[in-house]
Amino acid sequence: MVSKATRWVLLGVGAAAATGVGRTVARRRRRHQPERQDGWYVVRRGVTVDRPRDAVIGFWTDRERLDRALAEWATLERIDGDRWRCEGVAPDGGAGWRAEITVEGPGVLRWRVTEGAVPQEGRLELTDAPQGRGTELRAELRYRSGPVRRVFGLTAGDEPDLALRDALRRVKSLIECGQVIETRHDPSARSPRQERATDKIRDKLTTGGRA
Amino acid sequence: MRALCWEGVGKLAVRDVPEPRVRAADDIIVRVRASSVCGSDLHLINGYLPAMREGDVLGHEFMGEVVETGPGVRRLRVGDRVVVGSVVACGGCWYCRTEQYSLCDNSNPQPVFTEKLWGHSPAGILGYSHAAGGYSGSHAEYVRVPFGDVGAFPVPDGVADDAVVFASDAMPTGWMAADFCGLEGGEVVAVWGAGGVGQMAARSAQILGAERVIVIDRLPERLATAAARLGVETIDYSRTDVLEALREMTAGRGPDACIEAVGMESHDVGPSYAYDRAKQAARLQTDRLTSVRQAIMACRKGGTVSIVGVYAGLVDKFPLGAAMNKALVLRMGQMHAQRYIPMLLDRIAVGEIDPGYLATHPLPLEEGVRGYELFEKKRDGCLRSVLHPAG
Ligand SMILES: NC(=O)c1ccc[n+]([C@@H]2O[C@H](COP(=O)([O-])OP(=O)(O)OC[C@H]3O[C@@H](n4cnc5c(N)ncnc54)[C@H](O)[C@@H]3O)[C@@H](O)[C@H]2O)c1
Ligand SMILES: [Zn+2]
Ligand SMILES: [Zn+2]
Repeated sequence: MVSKATRWVLLGVGAAAATGVGRTVARRRRRHQPERQDGWYVVRRGVTVDRPRDAVIGFWTDRERLDRALAEWATLERIDGDRWRCEGVAPDGGAGWRAEITVEGPGVLRWRVTEGAVPQEGRLELTDAPQGRGTELRAELRYRSGPVRRVFGLTAGDEPDLALRDALRRVKSLIECGQVIETRHDPSARSPRQERATDKIRDKLTTGGRA
Repeated sequence: MRALCWEGVGKLAVRDVPEPRVRAADDIIVRVRASSVCGSDLHLINGYLPAMREGDVLGHEFMGEVVETGPGVRRLRVGDRVVVGSVVACGGCWYCRTEQYSLCDNSNPQPVFTEKLWGHSPAGILGYSHAAGGYSGSHAEYVRVPFGDVGAFPVPDGVADDAVVFASDAMPTGWMAADFCGLEGGEVVAVWGAGGVGQMAARSAQILGAERVIVIDRLPERLATAAARLGVETIDYSRTDVLEALREMTAGRGPDACIEAVGMESHDVGPSYAYDRAKQAARLQTDRLTSVRQAIMACRKGGTVSIVGVYAGLVDKFPLGAAMNKALVLRMGQMHAQRYIPMLLDRIAVGEIDPGYLATHPLPLEEGVRGYELFEKKRDGCLRSVLHPAG
């Protein structure tokens, strides 16, 4: 059983899971290349959650349904003191991934994907937002592109970045209003074929975002 | 169920579509009793807000009866007669907590389009294209309302469906437009556009203390209705030089506040209209700006220009110099439905505002296409067609 105090590593799982699988959605190449450092692409993204820090951390300990949701695609296992191993399957049933998550202090955690489509590591930090606006979730993500991806010209692949932004947005929404809103199957007069085409557009309009 | 759907630029049809289901704990399903057309729909139908997909269900200004509630719904019960704000708001983000509901952070599941276009994504809106979340709209027998406790409000008994329906959109928009003006009492307020929104803005300005309200349009029956129902003065811009007239009516000062309730398909007489239309048709500019330009030029020094007509993109010849050098206050936005609806329902209940006269054309849903034709071409004195899917 995961103890209350460190249960918020689940937040790291949320981020790692979204980015660890490496999304396969095709999309336009970005004009701006992410920053590079020592062969790693580095992106920093942040989102502000309108809740105090304790509530953000507490959210992951309170909500049983998160556990249930998590159970479907990842398991969390304690290695020792502050280290956790996280293992998951890609949502589309594809290759799994494995990550190690370390709680580094109050409000800071790191994750490292040890097996997955894109080698990557990340850091997530919670700080108080000014003016009582809640908590800033700041993530820094570093990832490499493997040789195969380079051959196919995917070196500037922005999937982990987009996925990270998705993850932060979803986390914010879950904490603030208890759900991530979905309109995908709202009624329409579309034929199945038209609906599939529209779903592709929905994907484009959903994936990434400002975070 | 039956629903009025968008079928391509300028094309609508009533079609069979699947019924909505409760999908999240906070959802409610509303059986629609009255669903109004709105000026905003015209921008969508005509492709000026280019994010509609074939088969999308239109409609966002509506009321009806709660027929199903998700397990997380607390405030509402099955059987409640409710009016629903067209803006979807989560109730839990900073914007919602500060009553800026149309800026909700979490209610647009498809934020990328507007983030690219505008830098940030505002709230989702029901039946309002894939830029505003891709929600299915209310011109249907049933509609799913997310965050039901936040967005739907029980309505007082004894108020007709076809009156209370406007508490969904036209009234809060008009109220917010007047609220933006910061009236203290005794002001002269000019309102561009005598549609449902403009007329509700005019009435709200009166309630908030304006001494004189002047409504500007070219449609004689709309101007006559505004004069008769609200006791406002009117200007027909197709026959009168609006700037001259306003200057004269205010002994040279100009109106203290100017409300723009026309939007990006603004009509004009004269060469700049042809120029604007041509550019818009070629998609070199998305919006036509005639009435905003006039409002800025007419407004007194240091006055307020309040824009609730909808604009989507880039405009030409925006008189920034006039606004800057006259030290104008510019306010604008999509309305914060949830903030104003309860207060407006109270005012309807005591008869302070009676929006029922806007429903000039009550029609069955099956005649929805004709309802929009009447509304768009402003035929037969149509102010708003109100569709009745429940028969
Ligand atoms: N901000 C919001 O939240 C919000 C909500 C609802 C509607 N709206 C917008 O408000 C605007 C008006 O909506 P409506 O339902 O009343 O539409 P409507 O089409 O019924 O009314 C628009 C009126 O403007 C008049 N008009 C056109 N050009 C004009 C000009 N140059 N000067 C003066 N009047 C002119 C038209 O003759 C018409 O009577 C639309 O742009 C709509 O999208 C905004
Ligand atoms: Zn509207
Ligand atoms: Zn919100």
